[in-house]
Amino acid sequence: MRIVVDLLQALLLILVAPLVRGVVARLKARLQNRRGASVWRPYSDLLKLFRKEELVPPTSSAVFRIAPVVLFAAVVCVTAFVPVVRSSALIDWQGDFFVLVYVLALGRFFLSLGALDGGSAFGGMGASREALVSSLAEAPFLLGLTAIAILASRADIVGIVAWTLKQDFFNISTVHLLAFGALAMVALAETGRMPVDNPTTHLELTMIHEGMVLEYSGPSLALIEWASAIKLHLVIALLIAFFVPWGMSAGDSWTSLALAVLFYALKLAVCAVLLSIIESAVAKLRMYLVPDFLGVAAALSALAVIFTIWVKR
Amino acid sequence: MGLIGIATAKILSSFSVFLFLTIILLAVARRISTSVLLFGLQSAVITADVIATAFQEKLPEVYVVGVLVFAIKVMVIPRALFVLTKRLKTVRDVQASTTPTQSVFIVAAIIYLSYAAVHSYAGAIHVSDDALAAAVSVILTGSFLMVSRKKALMQMLGLLVLENGIFLAALITTFGMPLVIEIGIFFDILMGLLLMGIFTFRISDTFEHLDVSKLRRLRG
Amino acid sequence: MGIWLASKEICDEKSEMQLLSIKTGFVFLLASLGLVAPIALLVSHAKTVRVVASCLVIASNVVGCFVAVLCFWQQSTAIVDFSRFSPFPLALGIDRLSALFLLLICSVAAPVSIFAVSYFDEHYGEQRRRSMWAFFSLFLSSMVVVVTATTGFAFLIGWELMTLLSAGLILIEGDSAERRHNVFIYLLMMHAGAAAVVASFFLFLPHSHSLDFVAIRTASTGVPAGVKTVILLLAFVGFGTKAGIIPLHLWLPRAHPIAPSPVSALMSGVMLKTAVYGFVRFSFDFLAGSPPWFAYLVLLAGAVSGLLGVLYAIAEHDLKRLLAYHSVENIGIIFLGLGTSLLFLAHRAPLWAALALIAALLHTLNHALFKSLLFLGAGAISRATNTVDLEELGGLQNRMPITGTAFLIGCCSIVGLPLFNGFISEWLTFRSFLAGSVLTGTRAQILLPLMVGVLALIGGLAAACFVKVFGVAFLGRSRSAEAEHAVEVPPSMQVAMIFLATICLFIGILPGFLLRPLVSLVQLLIPSAGVPEETLSIGQVIPWTAATVVGISAVVALFKRRERLTRTWACGLPGLSSRMQYTSTGFSKPIRYVFARVYRPDRKVEQRPGDQPYFPVSISYRSVRTTSYEKALYRPFVELIVSLAHRVRRLQTGNIQIYLLYIFLALVLLLAFLRFRP
Repeated sequence: MRIVVDLLQALLLILVAPLVRGVVARLKARLQNRRGASVWRPYSDLLKLFRKEELVPPTSSAVFRIAPVVLFAAVVCVTAFVPVVRSSALIDWQGDFFVLVYVLALGRFFLSLGALDGGSAFGGMGASREALVSSLAEAPFLLGLTAIAILASRADIVGIVAWTLKQDFFNISTVHLLAFGALAMVALAETGRMPVDNPTTHLELTMIHEGMVLEYSGPSLALIEWASAIKLHLVIALLIAFFVPWGMSAGDSWTSLALAVLFYALKLAVCAVLLSIIESAVAKLRMYLVPDFLGVAAALSALAVIFTIWVKR
Repeated sequence: MGLIGIATAKILSSFSVFLFLTIILLAVARRISTSVLLFGLQSAVITADVIATAFQEKLPEVYVVGVLVFAIKVMVIPRALFVLTKRLKTVRDVQASTTPTQSVFIVAAIIYLSYAAVHSYAGAIHVSDDALAAAVSVILTGSFLMVSRKKALMQMLGLLVLENGIFLAALITTFGMPLVIEIGIFFDILMGLLLMGIFTFRISDTFEHLDVSKLRRLRG
Repeated sequence: MGIWLASKEICDEKSEMQLLSIKTGFVFLLASLGLVAPIALLVSHAKTVRVVASCLVIASNVVGCFVAVLCFWQQSTAIVDFSRFSPFPLALGIDRLSALFLLLICSVAAPVSIFAVSYFDEHYGEQRRRSMWAFFSLFLSSMVVVVTATTGFAFLIGWELMTLLSAGLILIEGDSAERRHNVFIYLLMMHAGAAAVVASFFLFLPHSHSLDFVAIRTASTGVPAGVKTVILLLAFVGFGTKAGIIPLHLWLPRAHPIAPSPVSALMSGVMLKTAVYGFVRFSFDFLAGSPPWFAYLVLLAGAVSGLLGVLYAIAEHDLKRLLAYHSVENIGIIFLGLGTSLLFLAHRAPLWAALALIAALLHTLNHALFKSLLFLGAGAISRATNTVDLEELGGLQNRMPITGTAFLIGCCSIVGLPLFNGFISEWLTFRSFLAGSVLTGTRAQILLPLMVGVLALIGGLAAACFVKVFGVAFLGRSRSAEAEHAVEVPPSMQVAMIFLATICLFIGILPGFLLRPLVSLVQLLIPSAGVPEETLSIGQVIPWTAATVVGISAVVALFKRRERLTRTWACGLPGLSSRMQYTSTGFSKPIRYVFARVYRPDRKVEQRPGDQPYFPVSISYRSVRTTSYEKALYRPFVELIVSLAHRVRRLQTGNIQIYLLYIFLALVLLLAFLRFRP
């Protein structure tokens, strides 16, 4: 029974992901005084791309072809780690948040290789910038997670979530606030959102993620787009699980699970609104200001780790 | 009464968190208006602490101090600074001499230092570690702002933040100084601001910029 | 603390047979590598003798693997005593720690020797081939001697021979003035390090009265704290020089790139690990831990080496120099693990000390495997295209698929991605950092978790570097004519690389079988340590993750359908050439810009002006990086020594009477000392 629920959690993360993207896009459009596309648009995009023929540059090798597959597989594998409606997940062992971060890195590594395999300058540009951003974003990511793990005295994601559920929401912990600030900034960098990268840009010189996928088409492009939508959903779900998990069901009964899904949808909606406001309010950072942005995140996460010795909450 | 009591207790135990947030954001802020806004928020947090202390210790005088803090530091001073910024027509950038990353690391070091220094005293005088460390951090951040920001307006702001910190430290250790002294301090601040405002105008008029690192004619 | 309890030989029929077979195998290994093969090669000029000798080398390495596996898994110990044949105590033996490192040496040397068969055939004439093979097998035997020594003399002999033989191998390859200069610096630094190691051994003498490891171990409890400090520092400097800790690493990027590729693989993959072996022997076995300040020193050295090594590597575009700097980085990671373990030991937390030590030892083994794989790949590239400059390569994956795949596995392993072996040891290191939070009340409580950030940064930068390496060398279009006409390497080279890649994948997906014997090894070095459950949990989470990833990839790949080859899109740009791709220097520019304070290059732009001011005939841009250590640390030191030497030179006046005076004075001083000594 538990396995079924965990499997459904992972499926929820995978299948609802394009909807999250659609909602954020529509909210941004509304904030910009436009009507915006339907929230189900990403689904029809994916279906259309899956049906199309795939165009491959002649100088590319097997790496170009397997890169989207590995990226998709890595991101889907990570959905098995994250608890959504219950404090349990398919893969749950001590120290698994390191595995989570590094499996995401595996996907990103192969995507960058695929970008360089296209043989054009834009792939190289995207890969080179992505290398800069991701190499600087890993440290604050892991440090923020470490700070919370130290506070919870647990090293697995499910254990940390279970510990957080027992805490009092109104006892605001400095460690959690600082870690949330750092992880939110890292989340923006990892998922390629403003102010680090503009996901809707059409100017190649401003692209990071879009530049890497410029040569892909058809089903490969569908896999990549879906993978980046899942990644966004995943990161939001992780932040919700670590910082505001109250509302998760404690047992296996259908009513409590349904209630938990409702709560999760509510929190997801709030996060989507916040994300669209942030994306509409700030301008994209110049490339060489992104290290500053990530440096602030690193300082916040280091401070969070340091605070764990003074704050026993 | 129960709810207000709980709220008061929560405010007293967690206001230092928000102060730490404001000083970190002050270190990162790039525009003068953002810094002024943050100063206003900081003063609002301190007001909340004052009112909570007044409720907890049942000292009616401190309520008056709280109202004064709110009126002057949250309403009057930030509005005056906004007006000043608009009138001076200077560039909005803060002109810091350290990058945001370096500033945040320095503020993080300041916070660590305050905790380490305050640890042995806080137990002796029966105040909470967090609150005293927050006060010391705010003082040090105010001085850091004065040192690292080159705009004259930011020097003023740094001084105001410094004063915020001293006020908070006094509040924590004495639970409210006599009302007369508090009123005297407030008027001092207002006078000081007025003078600084006038001087800033004159500097801007004479030199056509407000960069204090270029005001070096008076040297031996 | 006995690893060495010879009395522990279990009196069993089966284990007697095992012991005998171990001893025979070991003697065979030593004899064939150290005596039979070199002598045969140097004496006879026949081609068949050379072929037989090279096969003997490969076979003895395989035998060595079996011997090591037996000792490592079956918990036997064996001693072979050669003291009768030599004037000083020369005894070799294999205990658990030596078995791990012997396994490391032989499992790397076997495929490297197979690779060397084709490599030496291609690159050298018959005569040089013989001398290369002779030195090669002697080099291997010296490394075996170092890790299996049970007396100080045997250790030091092997230590010095390693340096001399590798220098010889480098010089056989080529003899230009620049190469001789680099070899000179190499020999100089190695001898300085060896002097420190010798001194640290000899400091035990007054207390142990012999350099036998057993004697040293029992006597170490009686050594006073001040002497222990000096021993630790000397061991750190001596072994650190050999391992390549910053700032003692200067010889690494000079010596490793100029050696032939199989020899570079051995130097980088195996020789550096003997230094780690020596350090572990000294600090964990002989001295049973260290005071906390030493652990902080090791931790700091590891962090600095890791960060600076990877930063210097990113800026390189010579593939072998880049890999040499990555060795510095990985040695830094190993020392991070060792420092953490020492810190936990000093604060009396043996369980976590065991975990950190397992992490460090596993990373040693992993690094040997994937670094040698990468160097063999570089050798294959240089054979196919005659260059290892990344700016001249490109598009090799389509032309050399097997080499490319093996190299890709090596790249993924060194970056530490899951499903590959590098991740297992990095995960264990991360987990031991996280455990630092249990040491309440000490500085380590925040310092160790902060090291998570340092290691994460190192890993992120390494990932960026290897995207560049693989992407620029193997993917995209070819940037030169040689790369366009590259051919796949001969099967023996492929077999060697495939073997190493398979081991990397195997350890990455099923780490459990290797972790259990490592746990028992560490329990011998750190007594009263339990079994850290993390070693069990990683053995379970990784296969599940691997199964998920591979399963999903397979399912998705099954649904792949028709594809059509067409021009590269590149937003419709016509006439794409290979020069329009990103170069290695361009790829690393953002990272070099952000970390500019580390690099401090000297930049020079030269223009040859034409008729009009804005249209020069040619522009050249030169950027030279000398690492700041050379300017700030080494040059003043070298100048000081040279000026001291000049002053001492004045003692040589050339006057015979002055020399006679010196002898007279020496006699007088000796008599005075005899008379007045306390």
